[in-house]
Amino acid sequence: MIEVKEIIKRFGRKTVLDGVSFTAEKGQITCLIGVNGMGKTTIMNAIMRLTPIQDGEILVDGKEVTKDTFEKIVFIPDATIMLPNFTIDQAMDFMNDFYQNWNQKRADEMLSFFKLNRADKISSLSKGNTAKVNLMLGLAVDADYILMDEPFSGIDIFSREQIAEVFTSHLIEDRGVLITTHEISDIEHLIDKVVLLNDGQIQKEFMTEEVRENEGKSVIDVLREVYFQ
Amino acid sequence: MGCEQENMAIQFNNRDPVYVQVVHYFKMRIARGFLQSGDVIPSRRELANQMKINPNTAQRAYKEMEEEGLIKTEKNQPSQVTHDQAVLAKVRNELIDEAVTQFVDSIKSINVPLEDAKKLIEKRYGEEEGER
Repeated sequence: MIEVKEIIKRFGRKTVLDGVSFTAEKGQITCLIGVNGMGKTTIMNAIMRLTPIQDGEILVDGKEVTKDTFEKIVFIPDATIMLPNFTIDQAMDFMNDFYQNWNQKRADEMLSFFKLNRADKISSLSKGNTAKVNLMLGLAVDADYILMDEPFSGIDIFSREQIAEVFTSHLIEDRGVLITTHEISDIEHLIDKVVLLNDGQIQKEFMTEEVRENEGKSVIDVLREVYFQ
Repeated sequence: MGCEQENMAIQFNNRDPVYVQVVHYFKMRIARGFLQSGDVIPSRRELANQMKINPNTAQRAYKEMEEEGLIKTEKNQPSQVTHDQAVLAKVRNELIDEAVTQFVDSIKSINVPLEDAKKLIEKRYGEEEGER
């Protein structure tokens, strides 16, 4: 379980995260939702220790995040992470050198699923294919937790469908996934839990099937209530 | 299996629990005779992939169907549609009841007298038969 507890993050005088707490469990897909500029990416960066926080703590499986945690948790950002002149093959080599848990079999499987050409230079790829390479590089690490930042943004519908399909497969099964998106309709059926961020605080945390079952509401219905009440 | 996968693509609505929609889908397939008693159904993992749903949701749907006696899962065996005819008959009745209720609700709401409704049904039924 990833536990985010009362974290506070300021950029200068601006408080971006003002006591944010939530959990993301293993074996579930948790979706962090909030309109742009709400600090979704900052939360992911904070979990990965890419940005300092002013207060609060973040635990993974009950422990503080250290260097060793990064074999257990993988971050897939929405920007290119590899050197642009790398080919896909070289990027995989790089990951293999870096992670003990790199699983080449899984990487190969995803390359063929996404129909990617391993000799292609990453800088020559379309936006959709770059996102697929990022996803492949992240998911091929045998990590327990995966953080994905906006995997669907700016990508054509068929690539989005393909990426969404990954969520229904053994590539994700039993792992804990934390994903941010503002294009919720693509994955509304796929997510277990929603964490709603608004004005630097968690407005609501709910299980999607429970809300449908008990209140007859879609995720978007709930969002509308929260943001436009 | 290709054809089977095509059939698995269903359009989910956003306001009913997905697992309930999956169970309903299986009931429809049973009532229509596409699935018969003893037929093997996909594993949870296969179903999640074919229907493009979360594996947890597939798991929940199967649990529900097991509780309703619709499917049986022996240890280390694939799940099968039940041999219990009473359960299968119940599924059929449930779906008929649901369709009739829906029809009656909508036609009553626009004040159609029973006699007229009956005539319309008879006429429509005749047309359908004729087309076949």
